[in-house]
Formats: sequence, structure tokens, C-alpha cells
Amino acid sequence: MAELCSYLEALEPLARPLGVPDPTDSEWHGALFGKLKPQIDREPLLVAAVCGGTNTGKSLIANALVGSEISRSVPEAARTRHPVVSLPCGLAGRVDLAALFPGFTPRLWSGEDDALDPTEANVLVWREDAGGEQPRRLVLLDTPDIDGTLLDNWRRAELIRNACDVIVAVLTQQKYNDATVRDFFAAAAAAGKTMIVVFNMVEWPAQRPVLAGWLRTFSLETGAQPAAVYAAPFDREAAGSGRIEFHAIPELTPDGAAIDLRRRLADCDFERIKLASMEGAFRVVIDPTSGAGSWLDAFEAAAGQWRVARQQLADESRVRVEMPSAPREIVWNEIWAWLEPRRSGFDLTVSRAYHLAGKGVKWAARRVGLARSEEERREDFAALELAALKRALGDFIDRLDEICRGHPRLAALLGDRLVASDRTVWYADLQRRHAALPIVSDDYRSFARDKLDAFARDNPDMVRWILAGLNVGAVARPAITVGLAMAGAAAVPAAAATAGGLTTLVHHVGDVVVGGAATLAGEGALGLTVAGLKPLIESLFAGWSAERSRVLAETLHDVVFGDRLEEIDRLAAAGSRPEIARARHLLEHCARELRE
Amino acid sequence: MTEPPVAGVAGDAAAITDFADFDELVESLGRWADSGPDWPPARRIRAEWEQVAPRLDRTRRELSRMLVVGVIGGTGTGKSTLVNALAGSEVTTASDVARPTTTAPIVVVADDVDCGWLPIDAMQGRLVRSGSPAVANIVLIDCPDPDTQADEPSTTTPHAPRPSDANRNRDMLAAVLPACDVLLLVATAQKYRSWIVARELQAFAPGRPLLFVQTHASRDPDIREDWRRELESQGFAVPRIFRLDALEAAQRAAAGLAAEPGFQELLTAIDEELVGRAARRVRRTGALDLTGWFVGQAQSQLGPLREPVAGLAAGVARERTRLEGILAAAIESKLQTNRTAWQRLLTDEVVDRWHGGPFAMFLHTVAAIGSFWTRLRPGGGLIGQLLAGHAPEYVAGRGSWQAVEELGLSEADVEQSRSILAGLAGRAKIAEPLVGRARLDDTQAGETVGTLLERTGRWLASGIERLVSARRGRVDGPLLRWTFEILFTSLIVIVLGRAGWNYFYGHLWEGRRVDGSGFLQESFVWIILWGLVLRWLLFAWVRLGLHRDITALTERLPPARLIDPLINDFATAAEATQGYLKAGDQFAGDVRSLTARLDDSASGLGRMRP
Repeated sequence: MAELCSYLEALEPLARPLGVPDPTDSEWHGALFGKLKPQIDREPLLVAAVCGGTNTGKSLIANALVGSEISRSVPEAARTRHPVVSLPCGLAGRVDLAALFPGFTPRLWSGEDDALDPTEANVLVWREDAGGEQPRRLVLLDTPDIDGTLLDNWRRAELIRNACDVIVAVLTQQKYNDATVRDFFAAAAAAGKTMIVVFNMVEWPAQRPVLAGWLRTFSLETGAQPAAVYAAPFDREAAGSGRIEFHAIPELTPDGAAIDLRRRLADCDFERIKLASMEGAFRVVIDPTSGAGSWLDAFEAAAGQWRVARQQLADESRVRVEMPSAPREIVWNEIWAWLEPRRSGFDLTVSRAYHLAGKGVKWAARRVGLARSEEERREDFAALELAALKRALGDFIDRLDEICRGHPRLAALLGDRLVASDRTVWYADLQRRHAALPIVSDDYRSFARDKLDAFARDNPDMVRWILAGLNVGAVARPAITVGLAMAGAAAVPAAAATAGGLTTLVHHVGDVVVGGAATLAGEGALGLTVAGLKPLIESLFAGWSAERSRVLAETLHDVVFGDRLEEIDRLAAAGSRPEIARARHLLEHCARELRE
Repeated sequence: MTEPPVAGVAGDAAAITDFADFDELVESLGRWADSGPDWPPARRIRAEWEQVAPRLDRTRRELSRMLVVGVIGGTGTGKSTLVNALAGSEVTTASDVARPTTTAPIVVVADDVDCGWLPIDAMQGRLVRSGSPAVANIVLIDCPDPDTQADEPSTTTPHAPRPSDANRNRDMLAAVLPACDVLLLVATAQKYRSWIVARELQAFAPGRPLLFVQTHASRDPDIREDWRRELESQGFAVPRIFRLDALEAAQRAAAGLAAEPGFQELLTAIDEELVGRAARRVRRTGALDLTGWFVGQAQSQLGPLREPVAGLAAGVARERTRLEGILAAAIESKLQTNRTAWQRLLTDEVVDRWHGGPFAMFLHTVAAIGSFWTRLRPGGGLIGQLLAGHAPEYVAGRGSWQAVEELGLSEADVEQSRSILAGLAGRAKIAEPLVGRARLDDTQAGETVGTLLERTGRWLASGIERLVSARRGRVDGPLLRWTFEILFTSLIVIVLGRAGWNYFYGHLWEGRRVDGSGFLQESFVWIILWGLVLRWLLFAWVRLGLHRDITALTERLPPARLIDPLINDFATAAEATQGYLKAGDQFAGDVRSLTARLDDSASGLGRMRP
């Protein structure tokens, strides 16, 4: 039982974010956590609670049962705010009240007004029966009302109802068929509680004949089969002085005995009643349509919906960033830097000579206004790149908005990020990150080196061939560089996996960011002569663009989503929590045992 | 049909004016509620108005009809007993055998009153006639109780069928209450704090004055003080609570005995507060309360959106400024850097204006030569075309982002603004169709960009024209022109004079040898140089202040509202919602002041505070 509770408790915090009804409001939860868990392996006590609507005389009846005034009875309605428990002599030292009555803070009784204290907290006022008349294992309670305007009172009464074995249902002519009263006692009957009905404020004996009709209605409505029925006459004077008289109604009592109510409580078959209430609680918990299993079903179904939502998010919130073509000399510079130590002296000399020549050509081109300076080109490029990233961000937000429109739970989760936060900040963040981006990052440099090294390792001949070719083909180099710098027509090449490391979703973004056609035009003499180099160079370009577009992924992850992606992951994964299967297994086990 | 005496209609002129004000207020409220923007809170308000309007309308039409008093309360509180006591005989079953007793509403009407206007069939009611003086001038309805019908069964706890599943008392109550003008709430010590009754009361009390009655006075303690506190905490004004024993009253009434004091108080109150002239007042007060309640509901709907809507409006202003800044900067730099184009434009102006003089001829000649070069370079983009003196062609709905890029506005910038505004709009619960999406599709983009281009083109054309015409004024005066003509001509005259002197005096008189054409060639060069110097001076004068004027021109860009088409939907939505909110505030103030003026503090009837 403790195991089952611990599994369910582990799942509980997920219920609200998943959108599953809060289990603490359900009957099975009350039966499990309010009854079975605290009582299954404790000293068998019989808990009897006096329950009923406002101003029906609960406190008066409880006082009469205990034999002294534990709870003040006042003319105003709904004044008993807290349950009061009377323990048999000597029990207080042996039992942990907080564990026996979960949800309450036990407080020692100091006077009959304790129960009227309108503080917010759930307090359980307790005292020991000083006279020693109370049976050794009987615990008696007075509870707050179940139909007044203070809903806190209902909640407290329900907690007590869950924990108790015997309910003394206080009914009156005005209230025996009220919807809220019915609901309360119907739940008690469903959980196998033994019920003793006290009709209070009866015109005695004039109304005695109609009691059977009242009881029939009550039984039909609640499904309760009261173990005994009593009538308390209307007597304002007696009530005013705290006296109340119970008339047994043997013709409505199954065993037909006219036993005094206090004696009936003291003499009843503790074991059988306890067993019945435990069994009833079990039945509530394992009920296929409304028990814990059904909650687990709902839990799994909700988690499944979140999985769908995550998939949808992954599928639909992909944006293509139309990155401008990378300034080619940046990538080529890396390649040359890598090649530099591997080249012959002759090649280098020729190369340098052409480098100078190339510079001259570029300078001349700039002068006549046909080419822009490197810095200008970088600025142009950065502006285009930022525009592309901003468009992608806008597109992404737009898609998220769209997805949220069709998915209320996602909307609830992402809503405050998407709607309540200031989008200006997002754009500013993207702009800031982009501005702070070095033109060639260390990450990219090492990525390029690794790629080239790996290529050289895999194709040693090829590199030698390239180098040999370069000795001859070095002539072409200045033309390549200048040509590349001026051509600038390549599309953004295909993915390189440098944009990993974020969560799945942003990773997707990273992937798609650089996804695109891989046409690498005009890579010049070198690429054309060495066809095997093409994929390598493509991946180097792709890597650079991916590296750049990572700022978008970072903005999305850090500023737009915050921790929400992890939350979605967590919720989507909730359906595969091991606790679910284990709890189901335990529930089945319980059901089998109960059947046997 | 006997109507209650309608006394003193002309009595209180001030009150009539106030009621006229009230009718006016209701009319404009209706207009406001019906013409709200397509905005979720406005839609809810409209739906609520559709509930409230017929009631207000009926009040106006049936102002002097007798009041319908609905007796409500939890089961077993003695509603039927009280109705019997008031009716003077047993018109409805009051018993302790089964709860609930009353399942169909009983309508008690005086013997001679025509009540064809009461929808008794719709409320599944039963009509009973009574000759009791207490109900002579009111209609009394014994309503079903609200607390025996279960709430819609929750799916989590299914149960075996119960007899109460067929209990539709609360639904029946919902059918009866719309016909009631006044509610008489009956409670006992056991029921006065019932949650269900409180809930139903909240739903039906707005606009319906109330009488509160504690029954079972002979059995129960007096709980009126506590009940009053409870009712006040639920938002009611409670001037008085009656306490009586209906059973006793019914017995006494049946026996023809005088009513006991508690019951007599109630009878007097009915007579004074609900009959005749008082009925009109009750209706009016009810209508006013209902209006106040409606406006209060509307305010509570709109309250949380006030700040987001203001935020959207501020966002629109901010994004407009940002986009205008980009546009202005781009236009300014384009205008400032296009020196040659300006030069050409201004030259054309001068050339077109100055004819006939030697200097003018000189300018024409230079312009003609210069045009060979300039015609080779086509004017690029909108600004280039405008500066080249061409009127750009605008094709409606056919703008492209490339075309505005020259103006510094990229699609990314526009989308950024629209995305930010979409976020702000979302906070204010403003969505489609009130505003569009952040990304404009191709048709929308074509349209908005087309409009933007056209507007910008026209604005720029007029701005450039203004700049040019200001300069045109400088060259129009004859003084300037004559000065330049004289300056230019003077050199020619000097050259010609010198040549003449040389020839006539030096050659013919002094007999010196003629120099040939050498001197003239030299002079020609000097004349051209002098002409160019003068031309430069002239244009320097014309150009003077151009830089400053261009800056001034672009500073005047915001009032031209050029970029409005790009974020027009957001601007319109912000304006519409703000206007709607403001009108709502206005009504709230109106209702408050009207309520303060018409407040009938002398009335013994309870009311739900608006």
C-alpha cells in the first residue's frame, strides 16, 4: 500500500501541468490517502464522525455522544470551522494524529470554542476523554458542515469522512434531500462506511410516521443502508442547555433492536465495521471507471497528447533561414591556413606573388567602384544575415502562435512566454548575439581543422595529389580568391551537425537552419579539378553558416522558450514513467486479492 | 383588466428627467454593446447585453404593470406555507412528507386580474386565484427550490440511477425567475447559509429588488444579524429582514384572525413598497440596478485588458517610430548623397526659366552637352526616378519587398514590428480577424508595400517639389538674372571692346599689326571659364541650404504616416479597442452618477450592490 501511494505521489505533481484532473479531489484519492494508507497497518481504531448540513445540531449530537461539551453549539450556522476529535483515554500517546488524519494539523483542545476559530489552516482539535467512559478503540469526531457557503468547511468534512469508519449522519426535515447533503453521504456509502442516521429536530412523536418516507428517499438517493436510525425531538429548551434525547426507531433499524445510540457505538462489532470500511475504500480505489486506474488512464492519455504536441511542435515549428551566401574568402582562408604548412617553397612563393597581384586587382576594382572593400562586404553580409535571422525568428514565432491556436494545452504552457513576454527583447537579444559573433569562431576553426584532418587521414593520396596539383595550379589561386570574393553566388550548403547540444527542438531548428540545396558554384579551378573535394568544401561552408545561425537557436532557447521545452519534454515523457506500470500492477494485485 | 392606480405621474418632474436620462443611457449602452469590435470580451459583453436588453425593454414598456414577486428559498424553508399565508388559503401544498414538496411553480393572482402577459405555460406553472388583500395588487409565484437538483453528474463518479435524477427544480426555477420583478427570499436557521441557494441568488438577483424573510420564527432562534452579515458579504444591501412564522400566519389567516406582528410587518411592506406608485419605483430601481450590474460585469471583463490594450497602443507608436526612423534615415542618406541628381534637377529648373540672355544661352549650351553624359546613367529606384524628374508608375497591389529595400525597409524589419505587435495584441486578446498575422502573405505584402510605395512616392515628390520650388523662387527675380547676365555680358563686352579697340585704334589708327584670331581664342576660353564660374556661383546660391532642407524634409516624415499601411491592422485594432474601453468607462461613470441621483435610500427593499 505504501508502495502504491509512493508511486502515485510521484506522479501527482505532474497532474496539473499535464491537464489531468487533480487526484486530490477524487474519491479514490481520499480513500487511498485518507483511509487505507494511514490505517492499514496501525492499531485498529474505529473512527466515528458526526456529519451533516449547517445548523442541524451536529455539535450538540457530538457532545451528547462524547458525554461532555467538546464543541460549542451556537445558534448561528456554519460556525464549527474545524473538526474536534475525542480520543479514548491514553490513546494520544500511542497514535500519530497527523498521520491518522492526513491534511490536518492536530492541536490540543483548550476549550469548546476551539472549533469555532476562523483561522485558515486545517486544524484538528483533539482531546482525550477525561472520564474514561469512551470505549478503548473508539474515536469520536464533530465535523464542520457540508453545505454552507464556506467551501473550506466542506473540504474538511470530506477529509474526515474519508478517514472514518462510522458516520453519524445528522438529517433534518429540511435537509435530508438536499443535493449537496446527498452527494456527501452517497460518497460515504460508496466507500463502505457504516452509517447511523439521526433525524434531528423531529416533531416528536407527530412526525414519527413520516420518518420511514424520509429514510427511503435518503437511501435511494445515496445508496446508503443505515445500520441504525434514531430520532431526536425538536426541543429548543433542551438544546439550549446542551441536552438532547435520542429515540431509537427499531422498525427502521435492520437488526430491529432499540439500543441507546451511545451503547450501540460502544458495542458495535469493531472488526467487522473496520473491515467493511477498509474493503469499501479498496473498492473505491480499484473501481475500474472512477478509481485510481481510471486516473492513470487519464494520466497516460494526457501524456500521450503531450507527446503528440511535442511531435507537432517538432514537425511544424521548423523554419528555413535564407542565409545569404557566405563570404567565400573566410572559408577559403581557413583552408589555406591549414594547407600552409604542407606546401612547398616554390608553391608558397608563387602563391604570395599572386596574392600580391590579387590584392592589386582588388584594389583597382574597388577604385573604379566595381568591388566593395572587404569591410563593406562584411557589413553588407552581416546586415543581410541579421535580416535573415530576424525573418526566421518572426517566422518561428508565427508558427508557434499557429500551433498554440490549435492546441490549448500548449497554448497554456507557452502562452505566457509567447504572449505575455516582450518580443522586443527577443529581437534585441538576437541582434546582440549576432553583433557579438566573431567572423570566425574558435569552434568553427577547430571544426574546419578536424574536417580537413579527417579528410587528409581518409584520403592521404588525395591530399598529396592536391598539394602536387597546387604546385602547378597555384597559378590559379589569386584568380580563385578574387573570383570567389566577387562571385558570391553560392546557396547555403547543407547541414553540418555543429548546432547540437541544445534540446531536441532547438536542435531541429539548428538542423533545418542550414538545410538547403548544396550547390556550390564557382569554387574555381581547384574544386573543379578535384571532384572529390566537393563534399568537403560543402561541409566547410555549411559548418560556417550553421555556426553563425546558432545565435538564432540560442535566442530561441534562452529567451523565447526559457525552460518550456524541457517542460514539454518532461510532460511528453510522463506517459512512460515506470511508476505507472508499477502502480497498475499493484492495483491489479489488490483487485485480485479483494476478489478472493 | 384592472391596473393598479397610476398616481402622480406628473408629480415629480425631476425624477422624470432623470428617468429620461436613464432611457438615453440604456439606448447608448445598447449601441455600444452592439457595435463593439470583433474582440472576445466585446463579444461576451454583447451576449450579456442580449440577456439584459429585453428585461430593460420590458421594464420600460410595462412600467405600470403590477409586480411579480417570486418566493424563493431552499427546500423545507416554508415557501409554500408563506405563499398560503399570503394568499389566505391553501393554494399550494405545504407538507413534511416528501422533500421537495413544490415541483411546479404556483402563480397566485387576485381574482379580477388579467394575467395573460405572464408566460405561465412556458414556466410550466399552475394559476391559482386568491381574494386575499395581500395579493390584490401583486402576482405571487411559489418557486421550486434550487437545492434538490443535483449538479450535472460528474464523469468521475458515476452512480446507480436515483429518483433525484429526474429532479429539474433548478431548471424550472431558471424558467420562472425571468418573469419575476421582485424576489422574496425565505430562509431558516438551517438554510440561510446554504451554498447552493447563495449561488442561485447571485445569478438571479441582479436587477431584482429583494425582500428577506426568516421563517420558522416560533422554532428557530433569531439569526437575522448573522444572516445580514452573510448577505452583505455576498454583496447585498440589506435594509431589513422580516422574521415570522408562516405556519402560524397561515393558520391565523385561515381562521380570519389578525396577523401576528412579524407577518403584519411583511404585509405592510408589500403594501408600501410593491404596490401602486411604489411599483414603478421598484421597476425603475431594478432596471437601474440591472444596468449598473451589466456595466459592472462589462468593466470586470474589460478591466484586466486595459493595460494590455494601452500596451498595444504604445507598441504601435513605438514600432511606427522605429520603422519611420529606418525609412527617414534611408531616404535622407539617399537624398543627401545623390548630389549629381540634385544638380541636374536644379539646373533643369534654371535652364527652363532663363531664356534669351547670353548667360542663359551659355547655360542652355552646357546643359545640352551635359545631358549626353547624364542620359547614359539611368535613375535607379524610386528616389532616383523622382530626382531624375520621372513620375514613377504605381500599380495598385503590386509592390514587392525588393522595391522598398531601397527605402531601407526590409521584410525582416517589418516582420519584426508585426511580430512584436502580434505579441502585444495577443496579450490584449486581440487576434484575427481584428489583426492580421505577423507575416504578410504575398497578396497582402503586394498590397501594403504597393500602398507604401505610392504614398512614399507622392510624399517624396511633393517634398522634392517643395525644395525645388523654394529654390525656383530664388532664381525667378529679375535682379539676380540681370546681375548674372550683366556680369557675363560684361566680359564679352570687354573682350569685344578690346578687340574693337585693337582693330580700330591699334591697327587702323596706330597702324599696329593685327594679332589674328589668337586673342579671340584666348578670350573665348576666358569667357567659358567666366561662364562656368558664374554658373558655379549661381548653383551654389541655388543649392545653398539644401543639406539642411533635406534634413528638415525627412524630419517631417512621421506626420505623413507613410508606414501606416504596414501595421495598419494593429493601429486600427488598438484604436478601436481603446475607444471601446473608454466608452465603457464613460458608461460606468454615467451609471454611478445616475444611481447616486436616483438612489432610493428610503426603500425597505434589499438590492444586490452593483
